[in-house]
Amino acid sequence: MKRRFVSAILASLCAVGLLASSRVAHAQEIQLTGPLKGAPAVRHLRLYRQGRLELAPSVSFTLLDEYRRTILAGGQLNYNLLDWLAIGVWGAAGVVSTTTNLADEINTFSPRDPLTADNINHSASPSGNTPGTNPSFNDQTAKISYVVAPQLTFTPFRGKLAIFNKIFVDTDFYIAGGVGFVGLQERGDCGATGQLACSDPKSFALTSTTKIAPTFGVGLKFYPAGFWSLGVEYRALPFAWNRSGFDERGSGPGNNFPDQKISSDDETFQFNQLVTISLGFYFPFQPKLTD
Amino acid sequence: MKQAGRWLLLAAPLALIPQVAHAQKKKPPNTGAAPAAAAASPPPVSADADADQPAAAGAPAASPDSAPPPPPGDTSAGAPAGAGGVDICQITPDAPQCQVAKEVNMATEAQKPIHAEIYAVQQQYVLKAQRLEIMPYFAVTMNDQFVSHNAPGLALNYYVTQVLAVGVNGNWYDGLNADSDFNFQNRRAARIAVPLNIYQFSGDLNFTYVPMYGKFAGFGDFIFHYDAYIDGGLGVIRTKPEPVIDPDNRKFDWNTLVNFDVGIGLRIFFTRWLAAVVEVRDLMYFDKIEAITIAPGASTLPATNPQSPLNPATWYDPNTHFTNDVQLQVGLSFFLPTSFEYRLPK
Repeated sequence: MKRRFVSAILASLCAVGLLASSRVAHAQEIQLTGPLKGAPAVRHLRLYRQGRLELAPSVSFTLLDEYRRTILAGGQLNYNLLDWLAIGVWGAAGVVSTTTNLADEINTFSPRDPLTADNINHSASPSGNTPGTNPSFNDQTAKISYVVAPQLTFTPFRGKLAIFNKIFVDTDFYIAGGVGFVGLQERGDCGATGQLACSDPKSFALTSTTKIAPTFGVGLKFYPAGFWSLGVEYRALPFAWNRSGFDERGSGPGNNFPDQKISSDDETFQFNQLVTISLGFYFPFQPKLTD
Repeated sequence: MKQAGRWLLLAAPLALIPQVAHAQKKKPPNTGAAPAAAAASPPPVSADADADQPAAAGAPAASPDSAPPPPPGDTSAGAPAGAGGVDICQITPDAPQCQVAKEVNMATEAQKPIHAEIYAVQQQYVLKAQRLEIMPYFAVTMNDQFVSHNAPGLALNYYVTQVLAVGVNGNWYDGLNADSDFNFQNRRAARIAVPLNIYQFSGDLNFTYVPMYGKFAGFGDFIFHYDAYIDGGLGVIRTKPEPVIDPDNRKFDWNTLVNFDVGIGLRIFFTRWLAAVVEVRDLMYFDKIEAITIAPGASTLPATNPQSPLNPATWYDPNTHFTNDVQLQVGLSFFLPTSFEYRLPK
């Protein structure tokens, strides 16, 4: 009985193996013999990018800011090596910087006393709290001064868009990636040997620094005409910086406790995000057409 | 082992059964006796049929019987497809080589009326009218750095027309509200507490409008279709403050609040009944938040005493606060029924 059972199992395994080995799907191509034989998928395709220089003034808005929002004015300069690949640079300078409601609340309600003396600027005496004479907390929050990002732009998807069944525009989807050089105004280091004490009002002054960070974005470009486009882009610029000027880390387990110093330990990672609106102009003006 | 031979004999024919899937266009049904009425009034065309396939009825080209005979002397046009070929004259009888013998008078052709209005997308990939959309999704908070309100959700939309739908959606937040590390760091450094609210659920009645649709060619190789929509409506959201100012004495209950919501979304179709959806939605409402001051009396006072920190009337800020909860929703969209019929052939 046992022998028959083993034989049956072996035979079944053989059968399953044979069945599994023959499962091949063949996709048969239809051989067209008419005028469409060998024809491209799209005739007279407008090559909006290939071999053209693109100059796109832009305005960028930071998103999800904790203490300070920034509006950057700048532009992109791209040379399109291919219709789907461009090399270029995006650059922008912070032209408007406003504080968030949280920053305003801290400025208004946060006590100026020895417990906050290292973190929030105060009048001449760290323990003094003279309403109306304290420097603004907003002055110690970090700002983005400029961004310069050499990048590659990859355009995998191109198509068209119908709006209200009345307006039809050619539309592209692209992905851009590169390295960002970010100029910042950030609270300077203090508290270490040879530096100002962090409770000193002068230690709250901002200093210039530059961060290097990866940057990538995705966007849509709409082409109402052959020589200009309208673009909307989402961009990420992740890096660590001390946005509040607080002493938050540097001592204790995991360096998670204040150490009465402002240093790189107090920088926290932020997935900085921007939305950019751009107006692109292309040179030469007329796009080439495929056959 | 004698039994093994029998099993192998059984397996051999099974293995020889053809198991090859040929992705070949369907042969059109024989409609040689198609009534003239059917040709005059073309029936709906199933979207399940290949878009490049001629209509089965009402389109003479679909029938081998009704295909025009090859012109005399022409051996290429209408030639039987050999070696896997397909007769182009059966697919497009108007192809030039199918009418070689016919003289084309360009002057006459130029006089023919022209339909000046040509749609950019001749036939929409998906017809949504009178179909139900079931959309499970996951929502992630975009604008609250202090506490996140992530939630699974479900939306049901019925498309009254191709561009307009009415529906409901709901999110369940309870158990997924998360106080952020940023919140703690800020409290410790600035000695200032920010009132936090957590959510239980929200539900809304919505209207959806689809003003935009289009298609993309990916890598010059494949085409996918998409549409963009806006939606809006009103509903309820249940929230309560998470005690931050006086957690020892304050225990809040859920409050049911009226909310308005607006959203904008993008739907990318994989098939005519399945799509991926990305939407940004803003839930707007007037929230009740924790008071940042504590009643000055001792906690030994009776809870009904206006000076007692145990008095629930002292726990809330006297003003409501307009709140935006901006969410990124990512999900799938299923359309039922899964198939539909076009009014006219392509």
